[in-house]
Amino acid sequence: MDVIRLSRLVKDYSLGKIKVRALCGLDLSITKGEFVAIMGPSGSGKSTLMHIIGCLDRPTEGEYYLDEQLVSAVPKSELAQIRNKKIGFVFQSFNLLPHLNIQKNVELPLMYSGDSLRKRTQRAIEILASVGLSDRLKHKPSELSGGQRQRVAIARAIVNNPSILLADEPTGNLDSQSGGDILEIFNRLHKDGNTVIMVTHDPAVAARADRIIRIMDGAIVDGNIAG
Amino acid sequence: MAISLAESVHIGFSDIWTRKVRSIVTIFGIILGVMSIMVVLAIINGMNQSTMAWMMERGGLSRIDVQRNWGYDFSKGGKAEFDLKEINFIRSQIPEAAAFNPKVGAGEMELTQRGKSYNADLSGVMPDMTLVDEWQPEKGRFIKHIDIEQNNNVVVLGSTAARELFGSRDPIGKEVGVRIETQSYTSTGEFESTLSTHQLTVIGVMSEKFMEGNGGFGGNPLEYRNRQAFVPISTMINKLSPALKITELEIKAKDTETAPALRRKVEELVLNLKQGKRLFMVASATEQMQQMKQSSMIFSSIFVMIAVISLLVGGIVIMNIMLASIKERTREIGVRLAIGARRRDIFVQFLVQTVMITSLGGVLGIVSGYAILDLVAGFLDIKVAASMQMIWVALMVSVGVGLIFGVFPAVRAGNLDPVLALREE
Repeated sequence: MDVIRLSRLVKDYSLGKIKVRALCGLDLSITKGEFVAIMGPSGSGKSTLMHIIGCLDRPTEGEYYLDEQLVSAVPKSELAQIRNKKIGFVFQSFNLLPHLNIQKNVELPLMYSGDSLRKRTQRAIEILASVGLSDRLKHKPSELSGGQRQRVAIARAIVNNPSILLADEPTGNLDSQSGGDILEIFNRLHKDGNTVIMVTHDPAVAARADRIIRIMDGAIVDGNIAG
Repeated sequence: MAISLAESVHIGFSDIWTRKVRSIVTIFGIILGVMSIMVVLAIINGMNQSTMAWMMERGGLSRIDVQRNWGYDFSKGGKAEFDLKEINFIRSQIPEAAAFNPKVGAGEMELTQRGKSYNADLSGVMPDMTLVDEWQPEKGRFIKHIDIEQNNNVVVLGSTAARELFGSRDPIGKEVGVRIETQSYTSTGEFESTLSTHQLTVIGVMSEKFMEGNGGFGGNPLEYRNRQAFVPISTMINKLSPALKITELEIKAKDTETAPALRRKVEELVLNLKQGKRLFMVASATEQMQQMKQSSMIFSSIFVMIAVISLLVGGIVIMNIMLASIKERTREIGVRLAIGARRRDIFVQFLVQTVMITSLGGVLGIVSGYAILDLVAGFLDIKVAASMQMIWVALMVSVGVGLIFGVFPAVRAGNLDPVLALREE
């Protein structure tokens, strides 16, 4: 079953009077449970693709099905709920809220789902235990190492059991040791049946994926067929 | 699915707490605005209450006073005095008046009793004084018409005067001496001073006048009344001090409604008697009260307007700081949007935060307003009256300022594009 299906996806940006086409009729399918790496030079359109897959942005033309739902037709105001329930983001720069402790950071998506405080706390503690941070619950992000911060970010991304895990250069800010640990976690999540989509520059990182998709000039040049 | 208000308030608290110094600086304008509204209204309110209490103590709002007009230029001729004929004429023209009391003031006079002496403020009055002033004797009786007709040598003492002269003894029926110095020029132009002592029988002691201390070192502002002594007006003029004239007239209307009409009538009468010269001022308590209310209304409006301007300035400052804060927290907003916050959640988060900040300012303003009022009341020894209603108004106003000036920044925050917000450094 395809968790993601993109067909003839077009995205235009207008920079003043100039129109820039970031994606030109892109087709892509990702199967549930797949581990996919997306590679491409900067300006290739991979960030735009990430934003659309992550429901942070909408395509100009074309169709995007996420879990069989045509999300390209969903109005912008309702995309927040889709992001909340179906997508877990992991960013290169962690993007934790600095004044909240890590437990509260992990609880945040559950708060926006409207879960009760008790359920939130329980779930956050459980998830943080699974990434090995049980002893750091009340620490602020600034008191943790980069690797630990990224583990918090992963915990936050999976706390709501999303359909896809979207990671943008998750090891880009880490040394090779902690980067390796993070990739181990992604591997484990993949083995547990999660769909992982990772944008990366690093061929060694990409090599861990089931399939590498290469993008150039707003179109896929390689890896469009599910392995 | 939306986050609850309680959740927003919780976020608001933690946001304000993380930025303590900034929050306090931000709300300074609101604190000052609310504080000044509180202080001004409480002082004006207190002054109104004091004046009202004062007027009630003087016999209520149906009272009319005829007194020397200090604004009149007496070098143009005329004296602010009535003779008995004029008084009788005025009385006959206003049968509708409930009470009528012409007064002759002799000033401080030395009263003596068995070697003790006391300087009392001595006046010649009529029986109606008890009605005009709503003041009754505690012991004995007040001056009666028969005392007037017969020029009786009787006196009614204020409570302090009685105590000073008699201590704990009962003064009723006892004699006091009054020494009166009469100064005059003889027909040959020589200055002559005669000293005469009269014996007066005490027939009554007035009840003690007391009002909560304000305007006089915490003492009883009505004490001057307790130091008074009263004799029949006829005795005063015919026996004690023939040179004295009636300089004051106290009238009481049946009720406050008829008081203004009666005042106009008396004013007319007095003016006609004095050939159109405004030697006297005729004032009715109810009209004075209305004027006072009106001018205190104008005063409060002006001060409240100034305070509102300072609140508006405070609001603009808060709006600015919220805009800067949102700019600074763009990335945080981006993250919140990415993990599922809706635009409305972000809008509410920042609006609630602004309202919380201004409400906090309101509360601090009320608290510091109270502190200032305490100081003012202590130092200036005036009555202040802060009411629950004022506190509500102050709170509503601060919440209102938060809502008005919080909307624009909150809309800005809610309308941020998640992609651009996440890209912000």
